Amino acid sequence: MTRLIMSRRHLMGMGLGSLGALGLGLGPRVARAQTNVALQLSWLHSVQFAGSYIADERGFWAERGLNVRLDSGGPNAPVEPPVVSGTALVGISAADYTAAAVQQGAPFRIIAVAMQNNPFAITSLPDNPVNSPADLEGKRIGMATANTPVLRTLATLNDVDFDAITIIPTQYDAAPLIAGEVDCLLTWSTDIPVSMSVRGIEATVMLMADFGYTLHSQTYIATDDSIATRRAELVALIAGEVQGWEEYRRDLEAATDLTLARFPDAGLDRDTQLEQARRQVPLMFSDLTDANGFGWWTDETVAQNIETLDLLGMPVSADLWDRSILEEVHG
Amino acid sequence: MMRLQGAMPRNKGIAVQGPALRLPRLSREGAQALAGALGAVLLWELAARWLAGSYLLAGPVDVARYLQANSGLMGRALAITLENAAWGFVAGNLAAVALALVVVMAPRSQPVVAAFALVVFCLPLVATGPILRVLYGPGSGPQITLAALAVYYTTFIPLMVGLRAAPASWFDLMRVYGRGAWTAFVQVRMMAALPYLLAGLQIAAPAAFLGAMVGEFTGAERGMGVLALRAMRGLDVEATWALATVAAGVAMLAYGALGWVARALAPARPEVLLAPPPATAVSGRAGRALRGAGVALVSLVLMLALWWGVMEAFGLNRFFAKRPDDLWGFLVTAPNAAANRAVLWEASAQTLAFVLPGYLAGLGLGAVLAMVLVLAPGIAGAVLPVAVALRSVPIVTTAPLIVLALGRGAAGTITIVAVMIFFPALVACLQGLRQAPGQVLDVMATYGASPLSRLVHARLPAMLPAFFAAARMSVPAAVLAVTVAEWLATGTGLGNLMALTASTSNYNLLWSAVVLVALGSAAGYALVGAVERRVLARVAPEQLR
Repeated sequence: MTRLIMSRRHLMGMGLGSLGALGLGLGPRVARAQTNVALQLSWLHSVQFAGSYIADERGFWAERGLNVRLDSGGPNAPVEPPVVSGTALVGISAADYTAAAVQQGAPFRIIAVAMQNNPFAITSLPDNPVNSPADLEGKRIGMATANTPVLRTLATLNDVDFDAITIIPTQYDAAPLIAGEVDCLLTWSTDIPVSMSVRGIEATVMLMADFGYTLHSQTYIATDDSIATRRAELVALIAGEVQGWEEYRRDLEAATDLTLARFPDAGLDRDTQLEQARRQVPLMFSDLTDANGFGWWTDETVAQNIETLDLLGMPVSADLWDRSILEEVHG
Repeated sequence: MMRLQGAMPRNKGIAVQGPALRLPRLSREGAQALAGALGAVLLWELAARWLAGSYLLAGPVDVARYLQANSGLMGRALAITLENAAWGFVAGNLAAVALALVVVMAPRSQPVVAAFALVVFCLPLVATGPILRVLYGPGSGPQITLAALAVYYTTFIPLMVGLRAAPASWFDLMRVYGRGAWTAFVQVRMMAALPYLLAGLQIAAPAAFLGAMVGEFTGAERGMGVLALRAMRGLDVEATWALATVAAGVAMLAYGALGWVARALAPARPEVLLAPPPATAVSGRAGRALRGAGVALVSLVLMLALWWGVMEAFGLNRFFAKRPDDLWGFLVTAPNAAANRAVLWEASAQTLAFVLPGYLAGLGLGAVLAMVLVLAPGIAGAVLPVAVALRSVPIVTTAPLIVLALGRGAAGTITIVAVMIFFPALVACLQGLRQAPGQVLDVMATYGASPLSRLVHARLPAMLPAFFAAARMSVPAAVLAVTVAEWLATGTGLGNLMALTASTSNYNLLWSAVVLVALGSAAGYALVGAVERRVLARVAPEQLR
């Protein structure tokens, strides 16, 4: 056991870490007392979290006295348990997941928002396209049944007859769409459509955020307890994230290459990762963040989120969001 | 070419019966195995070409090309997963040995230990994964633990039989020579148990690898499971099937290698594969029922205490690590308890409707195939490798193919369950059919009984004990299979309910489903045992003594 962990750390710290740093022309890390914290990611390592890798590799956390371990997510690695247990100081969640966890008694608050626009999209093929929610009527949609409230909310927001849509439970996989088993899929705009386009299959992507589905995604969550007692660490962590993601936006190619160099064993494909990096930019950056900085939200966007959550069956109050950490970062 | 065709699975082996009969036995089997493998690869390639453009299946040519181009990536992933699987294999089997020793040292503990072992084996990954990740943090801990959990039960059961498989006369002999209990244990019990241990290890090796792979779904950074996830989501069908091929290859190699070790170390194969002792010292139906109820009660109390104790000892947060009293509140005292129960009942009914036919179909398929192989032994060499391969390919890669062929309704789900359990049934039934006493078969042959009537009257009764052993072992496997199928294909039932937790954080519902799955498996196991006693009392009373 110990040996395994040692070899892993050795590889990460000595091998890949310095490789990435050299690639970016950086010297050794800043030497000062470091506090160890962990950030629980919501999925497998990929360019989806490239801003965090940049923050780590360029020392944006180290210069703030923080050593952040980036814990990989996965299909069987929910974000909420490690955050509620204190294993991770911050987790990357989404407003609906966080609202559900709070309903179940978890003391979470959203302290920053990476994706201003929700990445959910309806993906279809151009010869039988779904360009607007009205097109969904009479179509078969492939999705996880867990997401039924999402589709229902979209239908309600756009006066679409929900019962006229046939839900086919599928894996998160484009094959049923290509095979003609379904007419469209509920996907993220940044993964399945990207895989399809890299393989030369053109897809029609209808971003749900363009049709009233306003819901923060890739949100940073922390517990009330951490917000009260570990404020300095939270501020440092989010400040590093903000700086990392701003660098990401400046050079997507460098962010992609850094991701590939850092995780050579993850089976990442450069074309796919670069395209994903491009497509998540409009989800993360907007006039709002240009004016106020990465991660920001306003009372108005929170009100829209609360409305969507209400339709999803998760009534929450504005207290779910706590902007005080961000205000310290940007202030 | 004639020989190759003759040994193909669908052909009844006509060519083999002819000139090939004169070849030495070993090389004939080798040729059949080779022909079977070649035939399977050919079918696979044809199927892949037929499905070209559907992004569901890549053929052997594409797989080979992918493996060649990505040998470094694949090799590193394989090394990591293999290392975790190996540690899990060692840990799980050591745990099995320890449990079996407890049972041998304190025989009265056997029903409780066996029930405990069964229930822990039935715990679904969706519940254990997040807890293990919180306990271990990042690293290989959860992968190793899940590999260990995947193997300990299939070693524990045969080992328990093996440690008792020594004839009483051997112990008498030790006593006559004035040897103590320890010597008797080492010289008699351990030697008698060896073939059973090896039979268990043979099944455990592929399971450990698949367990380690699935363990990577809990947030690992590297390994075959991580690559598989990426490939499936990325529409990378070559990579998906290359990974499935490597996983199946590793599983078959491990199965074959341990089989070879077993033959080298212990030439005598176990008499009855994997049959736990029926062990009913109490006679009479009422006595047995009373004793059964007592065991169930003691097991239940112990397990509740352990459940609560482990969670308290590790200080696991109640948000996701629900205690028995949380579930009591959720299901009994809460204002919406009735609604919660209704959700669970509905899902259970859906699951039961799939698992029962799938379970029976899988067992039936295994038994029928075993009988066909006995009637036409020529094709065994060709069919068995294909069966091992089919069993070794991870279900997450084959499930979409089954769904494509049979749809997402009952047929597809039932088939997924049947595929998961037919192999142990086939192996056990084959073993059992070959146990028919030689003299009986000789007598029937003398009187000119047809092969079919020899099968029905001599071999079938001999097969039943092994068949029931497989039937009992297959209960947890079938439940596991149906929950996976529900998650991947139908979106109904307890499997779907448990998968929902990821987005809803409704851990009360998750743990309620876990309890139902575990209790249901235990009840199914007991039910099969009861049927077994009734049937064996008629056809094989010596098994109940």
